[in-house]
Amino acid sequence: MNSPYIAARGLGKSFGGKPVLADVSFTVEPGDVVGVLGKNGAGKTTLLELVLGFTPATAGSVQLFGYDSYRLPGKAKARVGFVPQQDELVNQLTAADQIGVIASFYPKWDDELVGRLSREWEVDLNQRVKNMSVGQRQKLSILVGLGHRPDVLILDEPVASLDPVARRQFLEQIIEVAADGNRSVVFSSHIVSDVERLASKIWILKDRRMYWQGDFDSLKDSVVRLHVRATSPLPASLEIPNALRLERNGTTAAAIVQGWHAQAQEALAQGLGAELEIEQLTLEEIFLELHR
Amino acid sequence: MFVLKPHSGVPIYRQLLEQIRRMAASGQLPPGTELPSIRELALAHAINPMTVSKVYTLLEAEGVLERNRGKPMTVAKPKRAQVPAAKRLEQLEPHLEQLVLAARQLELAEDDVVKALHEAWEKTDEQPVHRRTRPR
Repeated sequence: MNSPYIAARGLGKSFGGKPVLADVSFTVEPGDVVGVLGKNGAGKTTLLELVLGFTPATAGSVQLFGYDSYRLPGKAKARVGFVPQQDELVNQLTAADQIGVIASFYPKWDDELVGRLSREWEVDLNQRVKNMSVGQRQKLSILVGLGHRPDVLILDEPVASLDPVARRQFLEQIIEVAADGNRSVVFSSHIVSDVERLASKIWILKDRRMYWQGDFDSLKDSVVRLHVRATSPLPASLEIPNALRLERNGTTAAAIVQGWHAQAQEALAQGLGAELEIEQLTLEEIFLELHR
Repeated sequence: MFVLKPHSGVPIYRQLLEQIRRMAASGQLPPGTELPSIRELALAHAINPMTVSKVYTLLEAEGVLERNRGKPMTVAKPKRAQVPAAKRLEQLEPHLEQLVLAARQLELAEDDVVKALHEAWEKTDEQPVHRRTRPR
């Protein structure tokens, strides 16, 4: 059994006594691709910055490769890649010089990979950063995050400014990293369909806490829409266990149920004296339902 | 080769699992057919390689696929000549339930739905499912 790359326990952060993240625990194993979802202000960026050790935790702990993230030794730092929401590129440099500066921090740098991707992604290496479009800057920012072939790649809203073609190219690169099986990716995104394609694990942050975490497929199987059809009007007191929301309309009702088990269907149908249909939801629908 | 819709509500692994199972059962993927590598399939559909790997492993356990050392996975020989039609029809049940539910909600007559199903059937006869290619 490999030890996890990232392990957090009771992790929390407050600024001036005001909590921005509270009591978060998780692990990231080699090979995991974690999609981080949450509304603006839910604490996604804070969480990623704590993992990276950019800021000290005010409660609990987070470890990266077995070291306290905030006191990460250089050799462990070399195994992490980060693509921030706001790029940290230097305006005066050309793309080639920018890559050179970043590459100089790392003992191992994959020139072949960076060269190939900059051609495929059409990043002009001679252009100065300040003359680049937002999308070009984002591509360059991703390139310099990948160049040292990190074991843990952390991306905060990496695709917000990319067009659909560039987004697909980016996804393919993440697949290459994931196909390795020994590297991990943690990425936050509002583009739920990308998370749906790539993530093997999902973290949903809500109100500064970890609201749901687990295997992506089990999330899809556990949050469903239940359609109830009876022959006589359903009682006003109709109750469905674990329903987040219930709409009753004469002889029919629809409910969003959390923690659904397929085995529960028959017993519930008998209890209600009604027919039940299960409808599976898209990740976007699940996300919206959990935030109503 | 497969039609995967990440946004359909059905988990991607289950879509892929059911398609391979159906195509193997019907003979659209005859025994011995080589499947794409995990990486190829993941890249072609921009999905997580672990999803593909999970499906291949499940289908291997079911005896639908065979793992070959250092070579691509292949469709296994079915234990008998072919899975009986009744058994194959069982796999269609969830889809039929969905269709009937939608039809009832739209207050359509059974005859009209059967007719529409028939027409849809005819249409795909002209372009067999397994030969339809998907634009990237």
